[in-house]
Amino acid sequence: MTHDPDDLFAPAVIADPYEYFGRLRETDPLHWNERSQLWIITRYEDLVWLVRHHELFSSAVIGSDQRPPYPPIDPEDRGLFDEVRHFRSDQLVEQDRPAHTTMRGAVHEYFTPTAMESWRPFVRQAVAELLDGVAPKGGMDVLQSLAAPLPVRIITHMMGVPNEDRELLRQLADKLLYINRGEPYRMKPLMEGIREMMAYVEPKVGRRAEHPENDFISVLAAAEKEGIFTRHQVLVNSALLLFAGHETTMNLICNGTLALLRHPDQWAKLCADPEGLTRLATEECLRFDPPVKSTQRIAAADVERHGKLIRKGDRIRWFMAAANRDPRAFAEPDRFDLSRSPNPHVSFGSGVHYCLGATLARVEGQEVFRALAERFPTMRLTTDRLEYQPSIQFRSLKSLPVSW
Amino acid sequence: MRRLTITVDHQRCVGNAQCLNLAPGVFRHNDAVQSEVFDPTGAPEAVILKAARFCPTSAIRVVDATTGDVLFP
Repeated sequence: MTHDPDDLFAPAVIADPYEYFGRLRETDPLHWNERSQLWIITRYEDLVWLVRHHELFSSAVIGSDQRPPYPPIDPEDRGLFDEVRHFRSDQLVEQDRPAHTTMRGAVHEYFTPTAMESWRPFVRQAVAELLDGVAPKGGMDVLQSLAAPLPVRIITHMMGVPNEDRELLRQLADKLLYINRGEPYRMKPLMEGIREMMAYVEPKVGRRAEHPENDFISVLAAAEKEGIFTRHQVLVNSALLLFAGHETTMNLICNGTLALLRHPDQWAKLCADPEGLTRLATEECLRFDPPVKSTQRIAAADVERHGKLIRKGDRIRWFMAAANRDPRAFAEPDRFDLSRSPNPHVSFGSGVHYCLGATLARVEGQEVFRALAERFPTMRLTTDRLEYQPSIQFRSLKSLPVSW
Repeated sequence: MRRLTITVDHQRCVGNAQCLNLAPGVFRHNDAVQSEVFDPTGAPEAVILKAARFCPTSAIRVVDATTGDVLFP
């Protein structure tokens, strides 16, 4: 079997992106990937430069990129792909200035560090309840018992919908996860999830427009009244809570727990002072094995870098996973070190599109790692065989079994 | 109007530009696309405090220049 060195979905690259993209970072920092027809950016300095120059690199990738999706989809799903594109092109993350500035301005206040910090008691309670459920069992799959249900609980609360709807939202979220996968049939469950999510949110938007409450749908409904969002944009960006907040948080919890358990000296440090160290621990987990490996842009102009020409319209993927291990930016980058400070990782991106939910993600990570260290200091992995989802964007474990 | 000392921590600033959007008379971006203060009197105090609160990485500090009282965070 011949192995194409440009196959970004090769099992070895999915299993260990750090080796593959680390090599690119050191040998060819602006790499043209012929197979997927895109540039790959891996150095810290280049990544920060790229994302802070939004005038050169557009976020409207889905809407403007006419090339077929990669990896390929089932040919009969072309119509579904166009529907998905129509949906995604209304996402906040797909907007450029000036529309992005206005739209983000309308929702930003809901996510400020001050606002999100007030969610900490709710997050702490949710973590405690989930761990109460598994504590007597002596073990769990971190993904199924903690990492997947926690963000759904938070998002249910954020949408202002009843607790009874958690299971429904979890099922929807599972379908929406296909957005970042590589399976050829992925458009079917994805579009099914999108349609169901829009139908679920639609009647709630009308009610919140009349009777605003203290939830995110009310924020969007108010912005619709002001003419900032269309109704379609309100529905799409309500669904974005699940797209943006579910798998990312799952990965932070699983990848962070894995890193801690694979470094017993660091785990012991955290267990000795969970309250005091959980903030630094969360930042190092985010840096070491980030929830999102890479994101994309599309060149809005011809740009030169490292003696190469990126042409207007070219696709670019930038790898936080590689930049976070750049020795030019971090001392001993492959060492997992809870005392690392400052820790200017780029796991939430940078620039005008810096992750809107960053503070909430941090609060969730901090509360989870603190609680695990307090309650299960004897926790250990019960398998050496870990598998990841075939995604170029997300670093997603399929399961993480532990016992204590 | 009291005088303010406004500082931006460049270890934290990621160039999210919320402060520039809210108070373009106070903040601008430098060559590294990080925020810097060019006129601490360029917006009303309430707007400056809102800009500090909107910073997603809490990089902005606002202090009463006369008394030294920390107004944000």
